[in-house]
Amino acid sequence: MKRYIASILITVIASMSAWAIMPNDGGCQNLQNFFRNVEGYGRLGYSIGGTAPMGMPAEIRKLNKFILQPNVAFGADLIKPASAHWGVLAGIHFENKAMHIDATVKNYHMRLTQDGQSLEGVFTGKNDSHAVQWTFTVPIQAVYKFNDKWKIKFGPYFSYITSCNFDGFAYDGYLRVDDPTGAKVLLGTTDEERGNYDFKDDIRKVQWGMGVGVDYFFTRKFGVYADLNWGLSGFFKSSFKTLDQTLYPIYATIGIAYRFK
Amino acid sequence: MRFFYHKISVLVAVMALASICTSCFKEEPLNAECDIEKAWVHVANPADLFYNESDTLINVISTEDKITFTMRDDADVTALAPLFTITEGATISPANGSVHDFSNGPVKYTVTSQDGKWSRTYTVECNRVAHYVTEVMNFDFEHFELDPTYHKYYIWHNTLPDGSLGDDWATGNRGYYLAQSSATADNYPTTVLENGYEGYGVNLTTRGTGPFGISSKKPIAAGNMFLGRFNGDIAMFKPLMATEFGIPFTQKPLSLSGYYQYSPSTPFTDKNFVQHPERIDAGDIYSVLYLNHDANGNPVVLYGDNVLSSEQIVAVARVQNVNETNGQWVYFDIPFEYRQDIDLELLANRGYNLTIVFSSSIEGASFEGAIGSTLKVDKVRLTCETKE
Repeated sequence: MKRYIASILITVIASMSAWAIMPNDGGCQNLQNFFRNVEGYGRLGYSIGGTAPMGMPAEIRKLNKFILQPNVAFGADLIKPASAHWGVLAGIHFENKAMHIDATVKNYHMRLTQDGQSLEGVFTGKNDSHAVQWTFTVPIQAVYKFNDKWKIKFGPYFSYITSCNFDGFAYDGYLRVDDPTGAKVLLGTTDEERGNYDFKDDIRKVQWGMGVGVDYFFTRKFGVYADLNWGLSGFFKSSFKTLDQTLYPIYATIGIAYRFK
Repeated sequence: MRFFYHKISVLVAVMALASICTSCFKEEPLNAECDIEKAWVHVANPADLFYNESDTLINVISTEDKITFTMRDDADVTALAPLFTITEGATISPANGSVHDFSNGPVKYTVTSQDGKWSRTYTVECNRVAHYVTEVMNFDFEHFELDPTYHKYYIWHNTLPDGSLGDDWATGNRGYYLAQSSATADNYPTTVLENGYEGYGVNLTTRGTGPFGISSKKPIAAGNMFLGRFNGDIAMFKPLMATEFGIPFTQKPLSLSGYYQYSPSTPFTDKNFVQHPERIDAGDIYSVLYLNHDANGNPVVLYGDNVLSSEQIVAVARVQNVNETNGQWVYFDIPFEYRQDIDLELLANRGYNLTIVFSSSIEGASFEGAIGSTLKVDKVRLTCETKE
């Protein structure tokens, strides 16, 4: 795991310095020149969002609960201006993308698998799921600066999950084994009566997606920002067959930014 | 400046739209199920057709596709109009409440789901039971087959007094299927014993229920077999309520005999799968006769939590200390101990239920026992009073 983080860091630094170490002669002067007009920002924010299918399937009927999670995000970005308005951003963020939702579903196809045992069927009832993922995220974005106050950002991000969890339970409903004519398995509400699951081992460790964002600086040093990070790689490994839909992490972050360079 | 605000508001709108698109709910899908949930016969005088009024209504378990009304042997079944509660929106053919002649055998009904994609066919029959008098009822476990739905585990048939096969033996095997779908029939809690005391016997083994069972605090499944019905629909939800003990019984039982072997395993574990080395597993063999209606005339079924403690119990025969038998068959012959007087008229009118229960772990209903404990049973006899 540490190796992954290290390699991501090295990639970022290498790509930054790739511009610096232009052909020809060596380093220091070029490096200094390169960084002369680079801007540096620190960020501290709060994320809200969820891990959800693209387009809500008709089987998901109702969101009963959406519990806010301690989704802090902090990190640093460097922006290298390329022209009067355009620039390139690279950064490293450490953030938690967690969610806790409770939803009512109808005829929702699921395939529960644990240690080689599987139970497949269609579930009608309630589902409570809780996801946590602490990630190192590296955004690489194009920046368009309207003026000193406003800029917008757009580009891909890559995440490495350092610790994660996805567990929950199906309750207050029933599963029909295999299909809607199969054996009925009624589930209650207490710990012993419901169907518990834990898909921690099926979470994809390296994820990527697209991000858009906007910064507004009300002074030279201080500003606020809003980002939307839309996962384009499935939250679970492709071998994960429990759910028919692929789930994507989609999170919006708002926070404060500080310009340190 | 207005230009920038305009740009920003467009961006915010796009972001908002994107998040709304993922959270909007589609129209509710139509129901896909097509069950008969309840079946009943409504007639002016139920006593003309049925022994008990409660026999007019049947709650159908999801895996059942045969609905049997138990009736008096002289009941007129040439023009009956059974009624059904079916899944909301589903349709039934022939029509709900239509009149049919059941004297020539069963009538088939097909239920089609609201979305039109699924259907199930049910067989509805009227079983007119004659009053047999048998001195000794034999239970030899020679008739078994793989379950017709999944072909995964064994089910057993008893031999009825007229020589036909009945469906009175139940096991918890269907519950085990949910937890351990990969198990083969011989690795279920209740299996066929190839070399019984005579011919085949029944082999009951306490099994581990794997990750699903542990996560719901049901880490073991004792091998069990009983006269009654296993309602697998609630095996996960209310396991003690899944064992519906007893079948209507019209004779006075005197004693229960048979042969068993028992081998306790270790370690003994509780429902949290914590080991208790000081405890040793034991088997259980008993029979209970009970009143199947309470004082107010409501039907009563005994379950896992009250089959040995209910006030409804009339008589019990229980083998004491089913312990290690070192691979030898042990004969038992236990008289019924009567706790109340028996009403012979009520008995003839199917007012009593009888169950016989075998379990490889005596505390199996509380999910306590040792994985691997084995009870083998064969040649069980129920001796009844024959004088009128």
